[in-house]
Amino acid sequence: MAMQRTILEKAEPVAEGALSLLLRGADGPLAPWEPGAHIDLALPNWLTRQYSLCGDLADRDTYRVAVRHDRLSRGGSEYIHLFLGEGRTLDVSVPRNNFPLLPAPEYLFLAGGIGITPIMPMLTAAVEAGASATLVYMGRSLDSMPFVDELRAAHGSRVRVHATDRHGLPDFAAEAAELGPGTLVYCCGPGPMLDAAEAAFPARRLHIERFRPAAKEFAPDTAFDVHCARSERTVRVGAEDSMLDALTHAGLRIPSGCREGVCGTCEIALVDGEPEHRDDIGAAPGRMYTCVSRALSPSLTVDL
Amino acid sequence: MVSGDVIPEARPRRLSFAEVRARIGEPDDMIKRKVRDRLDQHSRRFIAHSPFLTMATSDATGLPDSSPRGDYPGFVKVLDERTLAIPDRPGNHLADSFRNLAENDGIGLLFVIPGMREVLRGNGRAYPTDEPDVLARMRTEGKEAELAIVVELTEVFFHCGRALIRSRLWDPASQALAGEMPSIGEIAAAQFELDADPQALTDMLEDDYRHLY
Repeated sequence: MAMQRTILEKAEPVAEGALSLLLRGADGPLAPWEPGAHIDLALPNWLTRQYSLCGDLADRDTYRVAVRHDRLSRGGSEYIHLFLGEGRTLDVSVPRNNFPLLPAPEYLFLAGGIGITPIMPMLTAAVEAGASATLVYMGRSLDSMPFVDELRAAHGSRVRVHATDRHGLPDFAAEAAELGPGTLVYCCGPGPMLDAAEAAFPARRLHIERFRPAAKEFAPDTAFDVHCARSERTVRVGAEDSMLDALTHAGLRIPSGCREGVCGTCEIALVDGEPEHRDDIGAAPGRMYTCVSRALSPSLTVDL
Repeated sequence: MVSGDVIPEARPRRLSFAEVRARIGEPDDMIKRKVRDRLDQHSRRFIAHSPFLTMATSDATGLPDSSPRGDYPGFVKVLDERTLAIPDRPGNHLADSFRNLAENDGIGLLFVIPGMREVLRGNGRAYPTDEPDVLARMRTEGKEAELAIVVELTEVFFHCGRALIRSRLWDPASQALAGEMPSIGEIAAAQFELDADPQALTDMLEDDYRHLY
């Protein structure tokens, strides 16, 4: 994966338990990105974490991300909050977009808490494109919601802020009932909010991004073979192994990130065979995410 | 016993602590004051950057045992300024440390950061847990730790770097020492008196090492 060197120019609180990080390219302009894109942040403690870009699209010199300190942090957000100092050099990946904004005359954006990050540049882009756009931004309390003032200043009445401690949960069914014929819905936030959105809005109009995998049931894991077309090798994936681990152990280099099917780092090209997609990204035809996905056919042929 | 061992006529002379103290002298006040009863920002930062520690436990008779633990830096979680949690990953299933802790809850930890000469030591009382919120923080490579050891610290202190300086532990040239050892397959074949190809044993172990979680 192509990495870019950045300097952490500023780390500042933007809500209770949320920090915004401003990363300046150390070697000139940074790779361009589109609304919905995220980067991998390589931390000094060997962990790599994915964060949505939420800065100014036109500013080629910096990236901005925001990070919530997760109470059950495994070492990513905790490290960023407690140990990462301004001035430090950090390697980040080139942006990747699993959550692209498709053209539409009208948008409804739904964001929950730190899930505001990919939505912010989407809202800006939608408004700049002349579309009509509404943001319903919810969070536990006003203090816990990043960028409320910034959003209100930029977008005024397009932004409806909804603190659930005072107003309860917003009524997605009512929003769905009023949805215009060409309106697309983009939603990012915690799992229960995404589940509620999936229940309320028609699937073909709804685009969501998860930070954590959705609860899913699959048939028991079985072993399968992976034929690697380029290297002319066959690797057996045991029932206990992930495809990513088996290929990596066989010496084939595949970058990896979340290992939960949400970040997209371990994507490979599929040549033949029937995959069982278990990710939460939605693999494009001919692609698959090796950390969680497996095979329905006895073997797969991949471009490795 | 290995051929060439020097066999003294009697066991080496045993000194009393008073005799030892007389030889090495008294520590100065600053050294005495280095022991703290909880983590501060520096010890916390040390733990967040340490990928390796040794964990000493003892059985009911006081017989100690030392065990290595390692993972990504910060794999030991700080629950609060006096409490740590160490993940238990698949190992040899001997559960020596757990058995010891059931008999004697004393624990001694020595944290190491590669490249750093000073080490961090922490002592206290420990017990095993399967608390979901603790295990969730240890999820690695998509797999959760099965158990964790909760450590209630009573002593925390930095230990000076002389031992690591003398040992040249972080000098890359020191790694040539490993080349003077037989392969793990040769050692296993000898110790278990196996009539097996040492290379095949080494390969087997290497394959096993690929499944770390």
